[in-house]
Amino acid sequence: MILLKFIKKFGKINSIVLFICILLLLLEFVGHRHGEFKIEEFLFFPALFGYISCIVIFKVGVALRSIFMRDEDYYD
Amino acid sequence: MINSLPPGFIMFIGAFLIPFLPKLGRQVYMIFLVLLSSFSLFNGFGTHLTINVLDYNFIINHSDNLSLPFAIVFHIAAFITIIYGSHKDDWKENIAVISYAGAAIAALHAGDLFTLFFWWEATAFTSVFLILGGNTMRAYRAAFRYIVIQVGSGMFLLAGAVLFLYTNGNALLGQMSIDDTSGLLIFLAFGIKAAFPFLNGWLQDTYPEASEVGTVALSSFTTKLAIYALARSFAGTDILIYIGALMTFFPIFFAVIENDLRRVLAYSLNNQLGFMVVAVGIGTELAINGAVAHAFAHIIYKGLLFMSMGAVLYRVGTCKASELGGLFKYMPITAVCSIIGAISISAFPLFSGFVAKSLIMSSLGYEGLSFIYFMLLFASAGVLHHSGIKIPFFAFFAHESGHKPKEAPLNMIIAMVIGSGLCILIGIFPSIFYQILPYSVEYQPYDFSHVLSQLQLLTFAAFAFICLWHFKIYPPELNSTVLNSDWFYRRMFPAVISNIVDGLKILNEKFSLNCFRIFNTIKNFFHNIMFENKVIDREAGFDTQIVLQIFGIIVFILIFIHLK
Repeated sequence: MILLKFIKKFGKINSIVLFICILLLLLEFVGHRHGEFKIEEFLFFPALFGYISCIVIFKVGVALRSIFMRDEDYYD
Repeated sequence: MINSLPPGFIMFIGAFLIPFLPKLGRQVYMIFLVLLSSFSLFNGFGTHLTINVLDYNFIINHSDNLSLPFAIVFHIAAFITIIYGSHKDDWKENIAVISYAGAAIAALHAGDLFTLFFWWEATAFTSVFLILGGNTMRAYRAAFRYIVIQVGSGMFLLAGAVLFLYTNGNALLGQMSIDDTSGLLIFLAFGIKAAFPFLNGWLQDTYPEASEVGTVALSSFTTKLAIYALARSFAGTDILIYIGALMTFFPIFFAVIENDLRRVLAYSLNNQLGFMVVAVGIGTELAINGAVAHAFAHIIYKGLLFMSMGAVLYRVGTCKASELGGLFKYMPITAVCSIIGAISISAFPLFSGFVAKSLIMSSLGYEGLSFIYFMLLFASAGVLHHSGIKIPFFAFFAHESGHKPKEAPLNMIIAMVIGSGLCILIGIFPSIFYQILPYSVEYQPYDFSHVLSQLQLLTFAAFAFICLWHFKIYPPELNSTVLNSDWFYRRMFPAVISNIVDGLKILNEKFSLNCFRIFNTIKNFFHNIMFENKVIDREAGFDTQIVLQIFGIIVFILIFIHLK
């Protein structure tokens, strides 16, 4: 019931993505995941790296709006 | 003789018959030219045609393991672009597309710098008509800027080639060094076309101004020709690793704030070129394979993304994220193809981007370049953000825009389906794809670690976007212009030059005025002495004071000398 409520609130597709995310985290315990560098073997490293990178890109992008964004007809 | 002509030459020359053919005949004829040209690819490796002029050997047709994969994908891109543009009855655009593709393919087979220069400039002069095909005032202005920069690149190449010939006694297109002036000039020429940082403004400025067909053609050839040239002449040049890393890094932020979705793709193109440049900089066999594989896959999935946005532009009349949304219901096939392109560029397993990018990432790992590796990993998350999600999401989902367009024309759908099919086939059968790469390297992209890491990275990056959007943190797209390095020559240089000119004008006026005053004073002085014979008025004591001062200084110096 709580799960259905959550899915309704969060959206079907969003919930599916969340489910896949959880599944991918669980897969980490199935086999040994190694990377090109030692630090990548840290638990859930790619997941954390991907999530944080996306937030950082978004934050920096929004901050850059005030510096690099001009009116549409700026060059006209 | 025909067999020894370089592939692409027949497309370049054959283009001039196009105006005399009916519309349907033109499309068939163009495809025939591409097929005819592709037969030359089976000639085998080696030098097939050399022309001696004034004791200089122009190597017109040289083929090897590096030029072949590029030539194959250029032919595929030309074929797809012709199908994609066949709904239009525009012979000028047809000529531009086929001659541009032909020039680019012929450039791949140039064996010396002067032959390369000829085709280098030919790609510039043929492709500018694709930007003019945008048929807007903005497109005309962009075309002018484009040709100036492209010809500028050619001039660097020519200067470098002349200097290289003078220094080395030959102008063979081979490994070069940026320590020589000639090498540096050629490196700059390649760098302009490869859109190095601060030399990249032309790409985002001009590509989105072309017609929907023109942008697809433009995205395939010029920049990849530059990557090929860098791989041929500057493989293993360390500085390329850092240049490439910067190229992957900066465009992602600009792509996030850009509103025009074709311009977002142009930033994304720049970012993808960065991956290739890094690989060329590493220079190992695995890395060069990675650069070539990435260029190959990139031409197809980037073309696919540009085709889907071109279809939207064609049907809706705009490509601005702020004015689009909810088109999935009306253009489902275009949307699915766009999503396949987006998944491929994001490098999800089983798609072309994954099998290509893995080679580059692994070669960075083998070389121990950890900082660059993590920069590129960060850029991979960025690619997912702006190309993987932003492009399909804002065009086909997000909010209802009120547009109710028809599905894209059949020819566009066929072209997009071919592109989508290739993206999937390359992803599923990497071992066949790897066989056309320059070096035979054993590499297996699909292992548990690699697939899981990539899936975690991308899925969690996507989940971050979902959170931002769901909790309404993601700001709305705005109609705007994002400043890029083209600002330097579009705004700063004109402003600086106009200020300098204004300043010089003021200085000139002041100087003239003062000269006039001095001249008048002198004239009056002599006039008074010579003609009116007056005693000149002077302030008593002023001259006396000067004389006394001079006298005082002399006395002081004498005393000083005496004491010493």
